[in-house]
Amino acid sequence: MSKLALNLKSLQKAGEKSDHKFEIRDYLRLDLFPHFLCPGCGHGIALRALLWAIHDLDIELDQLAVVSGIGCSGRLSAYIDANTFHTTHGRPIAFATGLKLARPDLHVVVITGDGDCLAIGGNHLIHAARRNLDITCIMLNNEVYGMTGGQVSPTTSLDRYTTTTPLGNQEPGFDACALAKGAGATFVGREVTLQTTALKNLMQEGLSHDGFSFIEVISDCTEIYGRKNELGSSPEMVLSQKRSILPKFDGTAVDKPFRAGNWDTGVLVREDRPEYYKAYRKHCHKVLGTAAVKK
Amino acid sequence: MSSATTAKPKKTVQKQTAVKGPTNVLIVGVGGQGVIMVSKILARLSQLQGLQVKQSEVHGMAKRGGSVFSHIRFGEEVWSPTIPMGEADVVLGLEWAEGLRWLRYLKPGVGTFISDTKRIVPPFSCRDRRHDARHGYAHHTIAEIVAQVPSAYAPDATGMATELGNERVANTILLGLLSTVMDFPVESWREVLAEFVPPKTLDTNLKAFEAGRAWTKQDHKPLVDDAATQAAPEPLLKREVKLEITESWCKSCDICVKMCPERCLALNDHQIVELVKPEACTGCRVCEWLCPDFAIAVHVSTVPINTISAEAAGEVQA
Repeated sequence: MSKLALNLKSLQKAGEKSDHKFEIRDYLRLDLFPHFLCPGCGHGIALRALLWAIHDLDIELDQLAVVSGIGCSGRLSAYIDANTFHTTHGRPIAFATGLKLARPDLHVVVITGDGDCLAIGGNHLIHAARRNLDITCIMLNNEVYGMTGGQVSPTTSLDRYTTTTPLGNQEPGFDACALAKGAGATFVGREVTLQTTALKNLMQEGLSHDGFSFIEVISDCTEIYGRKNELGSSPEMVLSQKRSILPKFDGTAVDKPFRAGNWDTGVLVREDRPEYYKAYRKHCHKVLGTAAVKK
Repeated sequence: MSSATTAKPKKTVQKQTAVKGPTNVLIVGVGGQGVIMVSKILARLSQLQGLQVKQSEVHGMAKRGGSVFSHIRFGEEVWSPTIPMGEADVVLGLEWAEGLRWLRYLKPGVGTFISDTKRIVPPFSCRDRRHDARHGYAHHTIAEIVAQVPSAYAPDATGMATELGNERVANTILLGLLSTVMDFPVESWREVLAEFVPPKTLDTNLKAFEAGRAWTKQDHKPLVDDAATQAAPEPLLKREVKLEITESWCKSCDICVKMCPERCLALNDHQIVELVKPEACTGCRVCEWLCPDFAIAVHVSTVPINTISAEAAGEVQA
């Protein structure tokens, strides 16, 4: 058989495999649809990537807990047909920490936004990263507080217009990945929604990582942020992501706290450090004796 | 050989070759294979033999997957730099389809056709991006071609080169083969080869040169490589693509319309996405992946080709 024929066969096979029995509707609460997000909002694409990753990892929906805070991203958990929490502003990581410690058998995923995670819940993020508890934190970064009307957020780029920075933002935007890395997260990655398959793969790696994994998803706010800054229509905004990224090889980390120019994407940090729950159990066994510790 | 002849090799060779009118060699291939390198070597070689050489080439298409060709004419007197159609004494193809493309330049009845059986399928022959589409690459088998040309050599030079450890010396193997049909002394070939190839690769290139010469000695009938000659198989399976659009979920953000590589989606009068060119859809799923509202679901099923409706089957055959 010629090489070409083989290629065709393998393509078909790959197609059939990932061509996937993945039907997103199996994972959604259909009665809540259509969702409340604006036309062209990147959060929907990120949600698809997350559910796809969960599908590919064969995680049962009963074994999945999704915790989210407040904001556009906070609403996403409601659409997933799993164990979901819609918690208070900035506290999803705190809720998830308690949940994971109480039910270590669950896969705990936090969906949070840039304001939720870095401003209101900034402290929770750095301490969760320090503890290295096995949580996957997915931060959807659209550089703005979209739900409340477009106020400036910690990640808003320089000179961008928002309702609270009508003359242009002069605060440098946070590099969330550098923050997570500095706080000791053992898995840090970043991807754009345009590269849905890469995003899915990154989420898959983050979910299977043993320890705190932080994934920043560059998403678009087309209706508020895009319109105010004249960034173009939804397709133009999605396409422009391609021009604003610098894909990195595994393990080449960012070390700038403030972002200037292009985003590094891909896996930025991958470290091996004792996971908090396991370390804690070990310590309990040591101090209290195995008999005293509950299963 | 007398000392006089070694001192003046030019005259001797001129007598040996005894060319009336120029000898025409057409070297063709795909960018990056070394067409220009081969033609340089041949031109230099002819120059050293005291012959007039004119060479004309088209290059620079390497990055576009395009064809590269080089006309070489040498003899006692050469006027025009290009070879008229049907006048080439040798057509040397570094790639199978390129060899076939220039076959009509060969002198009918007497010319020698040498071509690697390596198949580099150009992107343009795969324009139909549906998975079951046949590519437009040359479907002739080697045996068919060899039967048409009185003197044809079709080695798997790239395969031989890979065995030697460097795929890129395939052109040197063909050069070795060419040396057996030309009248120049073998030593000069080696010398010129050493002049042009990078010093690091000289050993491999010399080995390749010998391999090319040895190939003709082994078997003067062209080898027929089964793997390469086999025409592209008829697809046994066909992918059927269905786009399921949930109209009530679509928010007319236009992402799918603008992102579709085949441009087969459009917004209708109600600003809802619609599949306007179903025949162009390849089922690549870009619209499904990028739809933030989950309004598009792509269903791909693979069905055996004989179960498709008669109408669709006719389309496939056409």
